[in-house]
Amino acid sequence: MQLYSNEQKRLGLYFHIPFCLSKCAYCDFNSAPVSNPEIISRYISALIAHMESYRAGAASYAPDTVFIGGGTPTCIPPEELFRLIRAIKKNFRLTKNVEFSIEANPATVTYPTLLRLHRLGVNRLSMGLQSAHDIELKALSRRHTRKDFEQSFRMARDAKFDNINVDLMFGIPHQTYQSLMHTLSYLTRVAPDHISLYDLKIEPGTAFHRNYSEIAPYLPDEDTEADMYFGAVEYLRNAGYLQYEISNFAKRGHMCAHNLKYWNCDEYLGFGVSAHSYFNGSRFSFTSDIGRYMQGVEGIRENRITITDENEAVEERERIGEYIMLRLRLCAGIDSREFSRRFGLDFDTLYGDKCVRYIQNGFMTFHNGVYALTPAGMFISNYILSDILEFEDFGRYYFGG
Amino acid sequence: MSLTEKQKHIRNFSIIAHIDHGKSTLADRILEFSNTVSEREMEDRLLDNMDLERERGITIKARAVRIDYTDENGEQYALNMIDTPGHVDFNYEVSRSLNACEGALLVVDATQGIEAQTLANAYLAVDANLEIVPVINKIDLPSAMPDRCKQEIEDVIGIPADMAPVVSAKTGLNIKDVIDAIIRDVPAPEGDADAPLQCLIFDSVYNSYLGVVVYIRVMEGTLSVGDKIKLMHTGAEFDVVEVGVMDPFGLRSTGTLSAGEVGYFTASIKNVADTRVGDTVTKVEEPADEPLPGFKKVQSMVYAGIYPADGARYNETKDALEKLQLNDAAFTFEPETSIALGFGFRCGFLGLLHMEIIEERLEREFNLDLITTAPSVIYEITKRNGELIRIDNPTNYPPPDEIETAAEPIVAASVITPTEYVGGIMDLCQDRRGVFIDMKYIDTERVELHYKLPLNEIIYDFFDALKSRSRGYASLDYELEGYEASDLVKLDFLLNGDMVDALTFIVHSEKAYGRARKIAEKLKDNIPRQLFEVPIQAAIGSKIIARETVKALRKDVLAKCYGGDITRKKKLLEKQKEGKKKMRQLGSVQVSPEAFMAVLKLDDED
Repeated sequence: MQLYSNEQKRLGLYFHIPFCLSKCAYCDFNSAPVSNPEIISRYISALIAHMESYRAGAASYAPDTVFIGGGTPTCIPPEELFRLIRAIKKNFRLTKNVEFSIEANPATVTYPTLLRLHRLGVNRLSMGLQSAHDIELKALSRRHTRKDFEQSFRMARDAKFDNINVDLMFGIPHQTYQSLMHTLSYLTRVAPDHISLYDLKIEPGTAFHRNYSEIAPYLPDEDTEADMYFGAVEYLRNAGYLQYEISNFAKRGHMCAHNLKYWNCDEYLGFGVSAHSYFNGSRFSFTSDIGRYMQGVEGIRENRITITDENEAVEERERIGEYIMLRLRLCAGIDSREFSRRFGLDFDTLYGDKCVRYIQNGFMTFHNGVYALTPAGMFISNYILSDILEFEDFGRYYFGG
Repeated sequence: MSLTEKQKHIRNFSIIAHIDHGKSTLADRILEFSNTVSEREMEDRLLDNMDLERERGITIKARAVRIDYTDENGEQYALNMIDTPGHVDFNYEVSRSLNACEGALLVVDATQGIEAQTLANAYLAVDANLEIVPVINKIDLPSAMPDRCKQEIEDVIGIPADMAPVVSAKTGLNIKDVIDAIIRDVPAPEGDADAPLQCLIFDSVYNSYLGVVVYIRVMEGTLSVGDKIKLMHTGAEFDVVEVGVMDPFGLRSTGTLSAGEVGYFTASIKNVADTRVGDTVTKVEEPADEPLPGFKKVQSMVYAGIYPADGARYNETKDALEKLQLNDAAFTFEPETSIALGFGFRCGFLGLLHMEIIEERLEREFNLDLITTAPSVIYEITKRNGELIRIDNPTNYPPPDEIETAAEPIVAASVITPTEYVGGIMDLCQDRRGVFIDMKYIDTERVELHYKLPLNEIIYDFFDALKSRSRGYASLDYELEGYEASDLVKLDFLLNGDMVDALTFIVHSEKAYGRARKIAEKLKDNIPRQLFEVPIQAAIGSKIIARETVKALRKDVLAKCYGGDITRKKKLLEKQKEGKKKMRQLGSVQVSPEAFMAVLKLDDED
């Protein structure tokens, strides 16, 4: 392991593994069913070559978070995964107490693999349970059952993983307020260290979107979803999981450092198809086409095929917009003193007036110079953000007139 | 009085028909057959020169064309074909066009038979003393029943039809029969070229180079370049700059036009409103004793507020309205202000179709997004203090205690329908406060129903309802009959306690509850949830008669951060902000223009 130097800047690393055993009905992430092992191997080699090309550019950085996500990273042959992890450690000077996460779906990991991962330095697991009710899992076309999850979770604990996140979902077809509470009651007894609770959104390109008319009658309505959300926030709080972001809850000391980088406007580099980065003042992403990505990386010296999808420098005013948009996702909110340190501007002068009605109506709090959304405000945060942010805050996307 | 040689070789005729019975296609074929226009040049129908007309397949403004035709004996004829609008909104324009002719081709679709507008137009032609030449069209279609059609014409209109040309305008079959019938049956025009000048204006078009081009039929006398003329109803005087006839390809100057001829003149006229359809042109020196009969000032029957969806485009909207008015004297507008919609215009139209046409032209030709309020008619109110007022905007309706009597416009409506739909249509008319007059069998399968109906019921989705109850087969024609006292109330809508003026309706008291409930429901379905609960109330005066609630917004969130994809989230929020910018603030409630339109759209049956 590399030595950690104080002058080095922090950085988050993300690696996208676009393979799954099968596609879930709600998923619009870049993923495809695992096909032949050769493609997987070629893809991992491309990821490695890609990060090598960044080695020099990232030399002044010491990554303190690594996240391998997908897809289902654990569905590819374990050796490929290990090869990737070794390359990450070789190419970057990870800090000593790096948070190293990997996503694992229940029933895609074995105990030996988990042991190897832990020994290689992976210290955080993120498991997708989604629901403790098999009928809801089926509605989501998840391949696992609650039992599968239970086994995988126990194995992970046995393999010494002491920082495990479990993903849950609400707004699932057939789900009720009661069934969500059961799921929460079950999961808090299993006692992971971190819980993410995402609202199911029907995205274009998913099976749910195509069959919308079939599932629509079984989807909880807006009010039920709001009840579910507020009920869950309260339930988790009572169970010792503190909300720190719209969809994230953690036991003390277990907030996800990697995700916090997104919300704190810190730098991160993403490798792989559709991976996003915020690095050196620019936001960019890579192609979603796996063939193009591999060819592009393989010929990276010749630079014949461009793999960059979007690339833009984030201007000052736009950075303010991003900061507000992202920081208001956090319960920590926006500290007006920190805001003026960062941007040399006064938050109260710029946005204070617009916040008043949200504060008066219980959607926002203002204490000791800190503006933060309440759970009620978080659940309508799009409404609030699209109101308080100015068009200039969206930077070059603004073409209005 | 004997006809001159010139007059003997003139035929002035119109083509009248129900919508879609093939009037314009027949006109094309006549032009083509007479070799005035080659087939290749016929790609577009010449008589309909507005895009919109072509798309809808209907003619909006009358046009005329002169066809030079030589028959097999070498006789040369000038056939003046005057096209007429085929819709009830433009009845007056039709009647003036007909008055410029001696004959009319009555085109009947052999698969449909006589329809409401066939009859209405035929009656107009009879009123104008025209020789009616029936033409049976669309005989190429397998479902054509030409004999039954002829029988109908004889039975219902009472004119002989056994000699009627049987044609297919689409394929060009038997078109020569039509031209022969015109020359044989339509009388040559009369009139004395030396008498004091009397020209009938049947249309006018604004042209940016020539000013207003006035389409006329010379009834008596002779009009020449340089004449000092007077329009007898408006009193305006002009010097004639150019006189000529209308080729299929445009204007052809002839310098003079005499009794019996159809043509145009220009006289540096700036505004079509100065050249009213039906007015009489005479000379300042040696004027005619009297104007030609039948002049009416065109009255708007339907009014609506037109507002730019984006308030910043008020001036553009105004310019566009002014440009449209240059060519459409029947369209009126004046500025008005709405608390809900901001600055806009109260516009007057001949009818619903006319309104639709104007709206579409504003949106298409001028690229404007508009909010149009529900159409209204003019109510005549006698106040307690004896004052008589005419209300074209429901918001201005006086409070009940000031009203002595209120009257609303009533129309005589005629509906022709296959017999199987009679029940449903009678229910509809009953429901719309119709008073049954009579019912006539056209033949064993079709019926003509006569009703007296309040116009404000007709402009409220009557036509759509009629079509849906008759699977599209019933046809409607109506004519303003007068005003009748009626039990009217003003229906207001309140959002979160604030009145929304743009939604105010005048409605018959018996209809108020139903209408109130329906609109309140529509509002509920279309107003986006706000930060707080929004009560919707419908009120007559201070009495609430319907109530709905828009629940408070509780969910509007992007739960997941998509692996650091900030850009996607930013774009989403920005789009949402764009949407918000377009919202109208109605008191404390925000409503999008789309939601407004959805509420005002009168699309389904009660």
